[in-house]
Amino acid sequence: MFAKTVVSKAVPYALGYWQKMTIGLWLLACGCFMLADTEVIALEPWSELGHMLLGVLQPDFFATEYLLEALWQTVSFALLGVCAGLLWGAPLALVYHKPWVAAFCAFIRAIHEIFWALLFLQLFGLSPVTGILAIALPFGATFARVFHDIISLAPADTGQNLPAGTDMLSRYVFGRIVHVSGQLQAYIRYRFECALRSSAVLGFVGMPTLGFYLESAFKQGQYHQGGALLILFVLLIGSISYWCRARLLPLYLLLALVFLPELPAIDGHLIWRFLSQDIWPPMLQGVSHLEQLDLQRLNALGSWLFTLLEKQALPGIFATLILALVALAMTHVLTLLWLPLVSRKLRGKWTVFGGKAMLLVLRSLPEYLLAFVLMLLLGPSMLPAMLALALHNAALLIFLTTRQSDKLVVSAQFSPKLDNYFYEILPRLYPGVMALLFYRFEVILRETAIFGMLGIATLGFYIDSQFVEIRFAGALVLMCFTAMMNIGVDALGRKILKGQKVPLLGC
Amino acid sequence: MKTLPYIGALCLSLFASSVYSATFTFTAIPDENESQLRTRFDKVAVYLEKELGVEVKYVPVKSYSAAVTAFRNNQVQLAWFGGLSGVQARRLVPGSEAIAQGYEDQFFKSYFIAHHSTGLEPSANFPALKGQTFTFGSKDSTSGRLMPQFFIERNLGKKPEEVFKRVGFSGDHSRTITQVQAGVYQVGAVNYKVWETALADGKIDTTKVKVIWESPVYPDYQWTVRAGVDAGFGAGFKAKLTAALLNMKDADLLASFPRQSFVSAENSDYEPIENVAKTIGMLD
Repeated sequence: MFAKTVVSKAVPYALGYWQKMTIGLWLLACGCFMLADTEVIALEPWSELGHMLLGVLQPDFFATEYLLEALWQTVSFALLGVCAGLLWGAPLALVYHKPWVAAFCAFIRAIHEIFWALLFLQLFGLSPVTGILAIALPFGATFARVFHDIISLAPADTGQNLPAGTDMLSRYVFGRIVHVSGQLQAYIRYRFECALRSSAVLGFVGMPTLGFYLESAFKQGQYHQGGALLILFVLLIGSISYWCRARLLPLYLLLALVFLPELPAIDGHLIWRFLSQDIWPPMLQGVSHLEQLDLQRLNALGSWLFTLLEKQALPGIFATLILALVALAMTHVLTLLWLPLVSRKLRGKWTVFGGKAMLLVLRSLPEYLLAFVLMLLLGPSMLPAMLALALHNAALLIFLTTRQSDKLVVSAQFSPKLDNYFYEILPRLYPGVMALLFYRFEVILRETAIFGMLGIATLGFYIDSQFVEIRFAGALVLMCFTAMMNIGVDALGRKILKGQKVPLLGC
Repeated sequence: MKTLPYIGALCLSLFASSVYSATFTFTAIPDENESQLRTRFDKVAVYLEKELGVEVKYVPVKSYSAAVTAFRNNQVQLAWFGGLSGVQARRLVPGSEAIAQGYEDQFFKSYFIAHHSTGLEPSANFPALKGQTFTFGSKDSTSGRLMPQFFIERNLGKKPEEVFKRVGFSGDHSRTITQVQAGVYQVGAVNYKVWETALADGKIDTTKVKVIWESPVYPDYQWTVRAGVDAGFGAGFKAKLTAALLNMKDADLLASFPRQSFVSAENSDYEPIENVAKTIGMLD
């Protein structure tokens, strides 16, 4: 197999590290697939799909009220969210090697933006603060992790050339960060694209971004309106490099701050009420002294926790892991199959351009919509969600990998054929692809939450139900389970990749 | 040390207490057609402004739970709630009152609809649903979830997950119709008004999906006003507001909800909804 060239030079005929990894992943995913609910039923989706297609072909750009405002707020929330995320995430990167910092960040990252927003909605109400914090919190935690990983791969020997007596800060900045500043900037640019997506998705829970109108339009079958919004959103993301210039950023930031929607005063009572009442299980509400904690209350608390665990947390974790693992393996297979099709080393200019346009559409589309279309085709099992996640993530992975692969220098003997590609290019990309895949696993886990809203019983489904029933204590307990699951996955991922010199492809 | 006062001010502003803003705000989510939401309800705001003599603003929200939260946090003082969300909101803000409901909401009902492949036919008796796949609307909908689940449990004596092969939440009435029509789910529960409108608009293929059962009637949507508006906006404000709502005659305004007129309502009208919510475990 292709990966042999990388690792099995020393021990011929043994399975290389990445081969073991790959086979392990596939076997695990096959096992999960057997356990998953993947029933396909025969349906009659064509009239609905026809309407959808017609909607995209004949978009109605005037059906949406306050459209420019929604577009601007989508950009503005993303911009402010990323900036706030950088403010708290970048410094944490310096201490990310401490296990408790890593665990803390994994905790924050585990929870989907939508649930952060639902939580902040209780504290700040319908306010831009809710939306911006919902982006800033998980994005900051991601910055901390990735910045740490990038910086730790920077060459460390420059420090020895600095004059004696150089202070620690200068030593750090000029000795290490300067080496990777290009990578850091590229990463921030990429995360801004992610933030635009998140910002749009926050519209699903009421923030005044594109998602607010997009979700309603698709939900209620207004496909001409929905098609127009979708096209605008894809164009917005596809044109980032044209309108998002470093020089213009200060101006955008200023505009974002000035034209923020009206900011209601932050109400201390709401925060106090949330902390003192809302987050406590029903039997503990109104308990102000420790003596009131009698056996009866403790029993009630115990059975409440047990029911939550048995009926929601455990089945939710099971479904979430199964869905995410199969989606991960599908992403992997799709990436490998698709990568050669858009490689500039193999294909002509126009094929690559077409392929990349398709990637742009797939990575911009909210998975939620993709899953809904697939549901009409395949039925209401887990399969549509798996495929939606795989298509979206594979598109992202290829986008990130081709940025690197197109720059690779190939040997003089290289001819644009598939076997040459497998021999010469893929082995050099493979460790990076796998590292990205492990990064994406966490994202996939988090994204399963969205499918909870389509009725697939992941942890997100149960958390959403708790919010709907205004049971914040239950929601918080389930969110803690989500976070603990992610801390475990994060620790495992670090263990697996440890010792492998993995080039970070500006992931 | 210059920053210290600023930090102090910031902390203070964090804990500033809530004051009634001079603007009276309300929110509403119609049970169908959410397009042009703000444009439509801004007209209602203009009407109320004229009747009440205070500044009135419409706040768009996306879900019943967001509407309940905004109501609880005093970001809106008036809301057009569904049956269940109204009960939730009045429990969270004691002293709040249901003051008006739609004419149709006095005798609202749900339809159970089925895909043609099930062979289920319209009947006055509760249909034989065991082993089918089934979808509710959104989780917090009165006509798409609460009442249908109650009727299922009362008639079949079991929880939905024990009756059906698969239970889904489509998230919306229109989507329930789409999904059952395409056969994604075999049976679904839907708000009767949304069905009637979609049927009249020719959006339903009746060879693929039809109504197989009509539920008994129950009270649904209502206007709920927050406790303490008289203190915030002057004595008699609530009475004035109630009168303004009941006297809303402009067909264009009423079409936003969509209701033929508003009639008076009170909290006790919704006791059945509260009891049902407790029975199926959605309220403690």
